[in-house]
Amino acid sequence: MSLRLDVVLFIAALGGVSLFCRFGGYVLMRYVRFTPPIEAGLKAAPLAVMCAIVAPAAFRGGVLEWLALAAILVASRFIRNDLVTAMIGLAVVAGGRAIGAV
Amino acid sequence: MNGTFTKAGLQRGFLAAQPLALGIFVYGIAFGLLCIEARITLAESMTMSAVVYSGSAQVVAVQSIKMGQPPVGAALLAVLGTILLLNARYLLYGASIRPWLAQSPPHLAYPTLLMLGDGNYVLSMKRRSEGETDAGFVLGSGLATFMPWIGGTAVGLTGTTYLVDPSKLALDFLLVAFSAAMGASMAKGKGDMPVIVTACLVSIALSQLSPGVAIFGAAVAACCLAAWLSTRVPVPAASEEKAAP
Repeated sequence: MSLRLDVVLFIAALGGVSLFCRFGGYVLMRYVRFTPPIEAGLKAAPLAVMCAIVAPAAFRGGVLEWLALAAILVASRFIRNDLVTAMIGLAVVAGGRAIGAV
Repeated sequence: MNGTFTKAGLQRGFLAAQPLALGIFVYGIAFGLLCIEARITLAESMTMSAVVYSGSAQVVAVQSIKMGQPPVGAALLAVLGTILLLNARYLLYGASIRPWLAQSPPHLAYPTLLMLGDGNYVLSMKRRSEGETDAGFVLGSGLATFMPWIGGTAVGLTGTTYLVDPSKLALDFLLVAFSAAMGASMAKGKGDMPVIVTACLVSIALSQLSPGVAIFGAAVAACCLAAWLSTRVPVPAASEEKAAP
């Protein structure tokens, strides 16, 4: 349970970069006028991030992951609760792995 | 203008993010185990998890530590540059959450940004689209994901391995499943298709580099496209849509 100076300095440098990323965009937007195109662009960010989390996993994944994502897409049309919908997808993957499916 | 930032909102966010917490805890354990291999002490690992709080960036940082010695000179700059790229998505998270968070006083807004992660960002923005106005939700959901990251790191550093294989419980699929569920109910129809297609294609193309880079590249491309489209396609007001026969 000790802290070495060189490691602490390294962590501080990492923290500096991390802090720049966490605060940078937020602070920058203080000086940018929220024109309609900028607003439209930023509004698209959450959906784009969700897609960017899902798409590579689907691309790399096998039949089980595709089945799970298909189940989520279908379930989301009938169920308004995201938690329940996500759990259906997780159950497909966990269930499939439990029975040794691909 | 003072937006709401209440204890009730914080509690709501904390509870809503609990399903994500287990996956992050498991990832934290994996990081802790990696720290043992790199010969970093408990205090150093915990400090890194608290200060950096980014899984992919911390893995790169720890892998650059050889026999307990951190990199120096050009190697250090290379690591810092990589981490800048891996964490660049937070620039976008901060920019897009500003209209909501800036309504709160800085002493609440900035700590909230420190707690921001992929999971609680998408969860908070989804709830925002459904009418959540309390910025306490963002901090609450951030704490719910930050704490298991710290806890998981500590457990991993004790050398404890998993009792149950996390992949058997599909915990590696947790964030993907939640993002898919939230994305599916957030997408409003044809108007969102350019954003969805662009984000999917760019993220797949960049996913070989790192998930963080894929998210950043995909989001920047999709946001630029959405901004450009908004100048070309007149967006009908919600009231006009309703008035149409």
